[in-house]
Amino acid sequence: MRPHISVKDLSVQYGALTILNHISIDIPDKKITAIIGPSGCGKTTLLKSFNRLLDLQEGAKVSGQVLVDGEDIYDPGTEMTHLRRRMGLLSQKPTVLPMSIYENVVYGLRIHGEKNKSKLDQAVEKYLREANLWNEVKDRLHDSASRLSIGQQQRLCLARGLAVEPEIILGDEPTSALDPVSAEQIEQRFLALKNQYTIVLVTHILRQAKRLADYVIFLYLGNLIEHGPAEKVLSSPRFVKTQAYLEGRFIEEFPIAAELDLCGGAKQDFPFRFEESLRGLTEGQIFKTLVDNEGLLRQILDLEQGQGHKVLEVRQISSTQWEIIIEKRGIGYSI
Amino acid sequence: MAELTLRLWKDQVSHRLMILMGLMVLFLGFFIGGGLLARALPVLQHHHWDQLLFSSQWHPTQGQFGLGAFIAGTLWVTFVAILIAVPLSVLTAMFLSEYCPSPVRLWLKPGIELLAGISPVVYGVWGMLVIVPLVRDYLMPFFSEHFPFFPFVSENYTGFSALTAGIVLAVMVSPLIISLLEEIMHSVSFGMREVALALGATKWQMVKTVVLRKVSPGMVAAIILGFSRAMGETMAVLMVAGCAMGIFPHSLFDTAYPLPALIANTYGEMMSVPLYDAAILLAALVLFILTVAFNMIAWGILLYLENREA
Repeated sequence: MRPHISVKDLSVQYGALTILNHISIDIPDKKITAIIGPSGCGKTTLLKSFNRLLDLQEGAKVSGQVLVDGEDIYDPGTEMTHLRRRMGLLSQKPTVLPMSIYENVVYGLRIHGEKNKSKLDQAVEKYLREANLWNEVKDRLHDSASRLSIGQQQRLCLARGLAVEPEIILGDEPTSALDPVSAEQIEQRFLALKNQYTIVLVTHILRQAKRLADYVIFLYLGNLIEHGPAEKVLSSPRFVKTQAYLEGRFIEEFPIAAELDLCGGAKQDFPFRFEESLRGLTEGQIFKTLVDNEGLLRQILDLEQGQGHKVLEVRQISSTQWEIIIEKRGIGYSI
Repeated sequence: MAELTLRLWKDQVSHRLMILMGLMVLFLGFFIGGGLLARALPVLQHHHWDQLLFSSQWHPTQGQFGLGAFIAGTLWVTFVAILIAVPLSVLTAMFLSEYCPSPVRLWLKPGIELLAGISPVVYGVWGMLVIVPLVRDYLMPFFSEHFPFFPFVSENYTGFSALTAGIVLAVMVSPLIISLLEEIMHSVSFGMREVALALGATKWQMVKTVVLRKVSPGMVAAIILGFSRAMGETMAVLMVAGCAMGIFPHSLFDTAYPLPALIANTYGEMMSVPLYDAAILLAALVLFILTVAFNMIAWGILLYLENREA
């Protein structure tokens, strides 16, 4: 699986508020990736970090890297207009520009300097067809776009986004304002387009994620909880918070009974210290440990299989530190 | 039950009261227009209307009441003012709304709005002390030397001129236009800006193709509002326009004598001269009609633009 977008240790803050907390993730090429999670957990922020629309928010502070085709888009030298052109954005509420249907579709082409009338005409037909809107509007291309129904407007927005020939389509809950039929049409479009484009969708509709997604990212309160192939994450999630969210249960923070800081310690020393800490707990109690290298992280995660403890959450808290939350289980535990 | 009756009664009364007030405001315009017409009727009966409106012969004691020069003066000064005020206001509003960092905007905007509240007479004094010498000593010599053709040629070397009045008026009406424009530009939704930028537009392309387009009806309305104010402005203009009788302005540097200045200067004096009173009220009526006409035109443009959008 080749990543199209690679997020490396991305954090976003608005003033004192942390919206995204050390997110590292790869978005696969030519697949539909769904970002799921409750409202206000940073889904849209993550999406808008991909085309740097985040920069427009006053007071937003971004750290970390986002690589698109291996190129860091937060590099000061990045040409924003070309970067954004590579990504079509569909927002929550369809936003047509105050001009005709035709002008909406060719807007992006015009601002990039295309003047040839016949090329523009061709583009209008091609992309309206691709968005499955052509037959409905072909006789009134020069009417104002705001007269279209809201579902048609969203398809027009899709055509407008496709017209600049992006590689990536970003959808920020693109069907949430639409009626079921229009939503279905948009979903069908996504399925039809996914062989040509990398599609990233923010959605809070689980069924939509199930219908569309190949890959799923679950965010909760700015933390990346779980990600992986859709069938795995959605049907047998590994972590407790993901399970709770998928089942519609209330997501609780874990009551931590003990903590162990393994940062900076000698590596050979670690298993001993770790097991000693666990031994002091009774079954079902929750234990938090802090590590600062990935090797150690792997070792601890293997415990779930090896010793039967339950890893509840792994959370990156800085560029080199991880927090692992483990529930002690007695079953299968042996020294 | 009694409580319900009272509530329904209040509902009815407030409803009717509002209709009444609305009608009153509506009819106020008609009453003013009608009143002016009635009082101006004597001079309209004695003289032909085209002589009254287009002749520049204004000799009340000889029975000549040509308002032509005053009407031309009004239009000329207003035109100059708008020519200066529109780019100034549009660009300032654009800066405030689109480019200015918000802490600066927070300070600049009230500052600009404060300018709108300053009394016209203060602008008049400022015009006499600053703009008149500027026009007299710098602008006019410069233009008559380098651009010796219409509309820069003039025999008036005093500095009291249509251009001076235009500048002062522009400075007076700009704060109003800026504050309105900034408000409507700022109201363009973030989503719409986002669309343009997400498609790869530069900031200026976004402002030009989305913000300006979206606000164009409001922009026309704001400019016309400024226009009407400029046309009716009396005191500041009277102090700096020169106000020489009976001359059609042929140049930016000629004096102008706009209608409001004429009315303010002469009404209540020499009322023993026959028809004088009626002629001044005719001037007021003409000013009234001009203002209404411009507002109607603006309204038409506004409707056209809004229809194009919707």
